Amino acid sequence: MSAPSITVEAGRRGLKSSPGPLRRLVAKAPVYLFLTFGAVFALVPFIWMVSTALKTPGQLFRFPPEWIPNPVAWSNFGEAWNALPFGAMVLNSVFVTTLAMIGELASAAVVAYGFARFHFRFRNVFFLLMLSSMMLPWVVTLIPGFLIWKQFGLINTFDPLTVGALFAWGPFYVFLLRQFFLGVSKDIEEAAVVDGANAMQVLWFVMLPLVRPVLLAVAVLSFQGNWNNFKGALIYLQEPLTRFTLPLGLQFFQASISNEAPRWHLMMAMSLLMVIPVVILFFLAQRQFIEGIQLGGVKG
Amino acid sequence: MPVFGWYAETLVRYVIVAVAIVVVMLLTYRGLRAAGVRREAATGFALIIPWFLGFLIWNLFPVVASLYLSLTDYNILQAPNIVGLANYQQLAEDAQFWASLRLTMAYSAITVPLGLILSLFAATLLNQGVRGVGLWRTLYYLPAILPAFVTALLWRLMLLPTRTGLVNSATEPVWSLFGDTPPRWFLDPGTVLWGFVIMSFWGVFGANTVIMLAGLKNIPKDLYEAADVDGAGLRAKFRHITVPQLTPTLFYLLVMGIIAGIQVFDQGLFVRVPRENFLNVYLYQQGFTFFHMGYASAIAWVMLVIILVLTLAVFRSSSAWVYYEGEVKR
Repeated sequence: MSAPSITVEAGRRGLKSSPGPLRRLVAKAPVYLFLTFGAVFALVPFIWMVSTALKTPGQLFRFPPEWIPNPVAWSNFGEAWNALPFGAMVLNSVFVTTLAMIGELASAAVVAYGFARFHFRFRNVFFLLMLSSMMLPWVVTLIPGFLIWKQFGLINTFDPLTVGALFAWGPFYVFLLRQFFLGVSKDIEEAAVVDGANAMQVLWFVMLPLVRPVLLAVAVLSFQGNWNNFKGALIYLQEPLTRFTLPLGLQFFQASISNEAPRWHLMMAMSLLMVIPVVILFFLAQRQFIEGIQLGGVKG
Repeated sequence: MPVFGWYAETLVRYVIVAVAIVVVMLLTYRGLRAAGVRREAATGFALIIPWFLGFLIWNLFPVVASLYLSLTDYNILQAPNIVGLANYQQLAEDAQFWASLRLTMAYSAITVPLGLILSLFAATLLNQGVRGVGLWRTLYYLPAILPAFVTALLWRLMLLPTRTGLVNSATEPVWSLFGDTPPRWFLDPGTVLWGFVIMSFWGVFGANTVIMLAGLKNIPKDLYEAADVDGAGLRAKFRHITVPQLTPTLFYLLVMGIIAGIQVFDQGLFVRVPRENFLNVYLYQQGFTFFHMGYASAIAWVMLVIILVLTLAVFRSSSAWVYYEGEVKR
């Protein structure tokens, strides 16, 4: 994608009397100015979050604001960890995220393969139905869904947050994977079929390795989505605190913040602890992250 | 620690359901084959079974069931009694409902179009051949990796009233210049909306920018070159090439933005507001705090109709303004 633009620019530079690098920079000064403004807007709250997480209660509301707290209250992280059964919540979140991710990925891949490669009656109707289910507000299915789990006596278990994923509950992922399966040449598959492989074997050994980059992008998005799944936890997990996932734990702690007890330093320390895995993942798999969300807007 | 017992229980049921789905897939395949369906068709239908079952259990049945519940007085404890349209009549007279609806609609009406314009602006800037696009892109995208509720907490802190919040301490001189005091944001019913709007810009701005940047990079370069030959100015090129070529992306972001904007929820639950909150928060309180499940279902159906009408309107209008290259869509 970037290669052609380089050649075009090189060509243009050759045609016009090439202005010096300094003049080009000056001509672009307004662009950089606006971009810097945007970057400051994006970054300052982050810095404030980290700074607040490292303050003592007395330093919270100083005026003028203090960016680098003195002294730095590293102990906030330990205190935040102990203010809630944080260890149990981390384990719960890891458990829920792992199961939901596996279920979501496996079912999405299987369904996407079915939609991409096989002709059957009503296929397009089903596909359209699946896409339009993305527009269904979650609150419309919320109460009957809750009643189904209640019927099975599974309220206040991790089942509603994990077992549901086996039913390809992310239509967006199915859509993405299908688009990429469509791009794989059929010859490769047919060779495998001639060798006597069945559909699942072809999917596992031929198709999935070929679309690995997208699979990774979907995995990253799925991890993020499940790790941050607040709504599900709020509806289905009730008590005790050791059964909460991290987002629900944060919501529980948030209610304790008041003017009398401005525990914002702990709140921010907890938030940081919670987002760190996603932030690390973002820096490790930045391309997958960004490409994953871009695909929806371009491939559509 | 009893936690591991809970894990084991869930794990067992998870495996059972997974195996059950595979069995249904196999049975479907065998059944279709026995009924004389072609091998390819039978395989294809068997493969989409996980979604199909999910659609029936988690989409179709709940939609119908919630319509039924919205016509009852269901409260979890007693069996539902049909009350006809009473819930909807009550909604029409419920001031809290109208206030929540107004807040939600105003929030979407401001954040969606303004957000699109701002991110189009930022994406256009990033597309000017600036140095280190990758770095800028990362910086802009960074806020989008935070979950909505952490964003909400962070902005609740940033927008604390008087001098306690960072925004107010930084802008106080500006306000006092006009002989004013800084707003009290989430403590004042009049400014709650603006607090949520700022929060939303910070949260989704970068993601939209990144998506639009990809859309911009997809525009064939020769279009601009042809326009250069014709002597088109920057503005003409933007109006007649960039915007039309970008309309599919804009369309996607508009639809997604409307759907997400009206359903906003997490933010509302992590910010304490003096009066009305978002519609979904009101629904949650009705359904899961007061157990007015029938009433909550009626609100859910109102939301469904609103989203349906708005997305249909956008889809209908799309033929007038969305441009597809060659109109070949798979």
